Amino acid sequence: MSWHKRVIDWVELRLGIRDILAQNLTEYLLPRNTNVWYTLGAVLLTLFALQFLTGILLLVHYVPDSNEAFKSVNRIMNEIPFGWLIRYLHVVGSNMIVIALLLHMFSVLFMKSYYRPREVTWLSGFGLFNLGLALCLTGYLLPWSQLSFWATTVATDAAGAVPVVGDQLVRFLRGGPMVSDTTLGRFFALHVMGLPLLFGLLVGLHLFCVRRAGISSPPFGSDYRLWEPKDRFRHQHHPGGIPFFPNYATKDTAVICFFLAALLTVVIFAPTIFIPPDALEPANPFTTPAHIKPEWYFLWAYQTLKIFPSKFLGLAAQGALMTFLALLPFIDRGPERRPAQRPIFVTCYVLGVLILIGLSIWGHYS
Amino acid sequence: MKRLKPLLWAGIGLFLLLLAVPGPVLAAETSCLQCHGAQSGRFGEPVPLWRQSIHAANGISCHNCHGGDPTVMSMDAMSPERGFRGVPAKTDIPDFCGRCHIGVKEDYLQSAHGKALGKGGPQCVTCHSNHKVVAASPALINPQSCTRCHDYGRAADIKAAVTSTDQMIGGISDDLAGLHHLGIDVKEMQGKLFSLRNEFHRLFHEVDAEKVRQQTADFQQRLGQIRQQVTVIQERLDQRKLVGGGVIALLVLAGVLAALIRKNYHEEERAGE
Repeated sequence: MSWHKRVIDWVELRLGIRDILAQNLTEYLLPRNTNVWYTLGAVLLTLFALQFLTGILLLVHYVPDSNEAFKSVNRIMNEIPFGWLIRYLHVVGSNMIVIALLLHMFSVLFMKSYYRPREVTWLSGFGLFNLGLALCLTGYLLPWSQLSFWATTVATDAAGAVPVVGDQLVRFLRGGPMVSDTTLGRFFALHVMGLPLLFGLLVGLHLFCVRRAGISSPPFGSDYRLWEPKDRFRHQHHPGGIPFFPNYATKDTAVICFFLAALLTVVIFAPTIFIPPDALEPANPFTTPAHIKPEWYFLWAYQTLKIFPSKFLGLAAQGALMTFLALLPFIDRGPERRPAQRPIFVTCYVLGVLILIGLSIWGHYS
Repeated sequence: MKRLKPLLWAGIGLFLLLLAVPGPVLAAETSCLQCHGAQSGRFGEPVPLWRQSIHAANGISCHNCHGGDPTVMSMDAMSPERGFRGVPAKTDIPDFCGRCHIGVKEDYLQSAHGKALGKGGPQCVTCHSNHKVVAASPALINPQSCTRCHDYGRAADIKAAVTSTDQMIGGISDDLAGLHHLGIDVKEMQGKLFSLRNEFHRLFHEVDAEKVRQQTADFQQRLGQIRQQVTVIQERLDQRKLVGGGVIALLVLAGVLAALIRKNYHEEERAGE
């Protein structure tokens, strides 16, 4: 008997691992018409893992102190072997994650995969999307560059528009009247510990929901059937479906490889796409750069604030939109999932996406 | 309605939570730019001119030259108690600019230009303009500008002597800016180049063609040392691109292979239907 078979047998005897693997890989059946959009979950898991790994490596050399932070990032980029690669993978990776999150969310919306009984799956996913953005925002301050300092100053300043508690909220976010060492300390703690912990738990809940309720079938083609448990919990099985492993896993692998190739292409050939010149100068609280713009994924929010006559109304509009999206499974309760049978939804969807893109472009050039 | 109540409360709670997620707003400009920028005529003219200047590009704002307090949003910003200096007389301009450009002022005062100050000779803004301040470069030495006061012959000699070295400085400066944008630490080299450029530009102000010619070889040799360091870094970056490109190609290949295997499975699945 070969040594690896003996190891597997040893583990099998104690944990019954073959059963678990079979149930979750070879005997776990997915709908036959599952499309490429379903691979985005695996892509996101891979990118999260990469962020986690590069984040830990960055932590070895990063110093969360306003006098040392910029220098330590500079040291990572110039003196630590492959430090440039680790940092660029982390920076570009965070942008790729936002792209993948948006694609995942929009595809779920279009296919109405949030429909009952998957409300918790949607809510946990929506929470992950917001936590992802919060991780981006907190990570932005850590290099303590001009961009970090001023982008955080204006971002935290907007919280001051909330009536009654606005000023206290700004002080709470910054840990004082101004962005300072205290802000860096709390953003660092949130970025490397608080938010990732919450994020990990939410990823666990999201995966549990997906696995527990079963994968939803795409609402396309002749295979489409209305499926809705009425009285008690039922896992959605897909008899006659394709095994997750190896059949479907190959599609996941292909898309993951293409995403990683795209990530590495930006890292090697055009890393500056996501790094404006102000990100290369150390923070100077006494010199305000001429044009501070948020990252591309916040541009729509930035432009919304400028359109409305008051900052509070702008924030309220953003809050209303996000609340509507979060509660969509409870609002859109009709059983029909096929886009062709939902013309009003598809019109709103297309208009919504166009407005989002339009506002972002406007925000970029305004 | 009863069933909707928890949903309503959840909605309100979530809404308030999302309100706490801040969005960015525009950063404010100095009081000088805000007040003068809103005015027309001679009081408003300097602002758009300044925005195109080398001073604006380097973060040198109104108060750095004219004094005053840029954080005060009233006429008090321009009170002498707050260090406001106002507009200098023509003959005071070299002293006004020379507070920062100390070496250039010394060279200028020793030159024929400086000796003619107050007697119809040029001062700083004659060539570099005021508000829309232009950086020192051979482009400033041109027939249109120089023949306002004298014959172009000697000026053309000086321009010919400085042009190749100045182009070399410009080329290295662009390359260093490119490397800096990639996050490479070129601060030391930028510092050396800055000091070399200033030293070289001081020659312009002496308006002595022979001295420029004599010193050009020394400047070019010192610039060559910086160029060599830049070349080493650029070669290292090219190597990164080569290896990175190989890894990208492997990833694409792996993706295509996985997609082909999936296609194979797909055909098997269809055959089994």
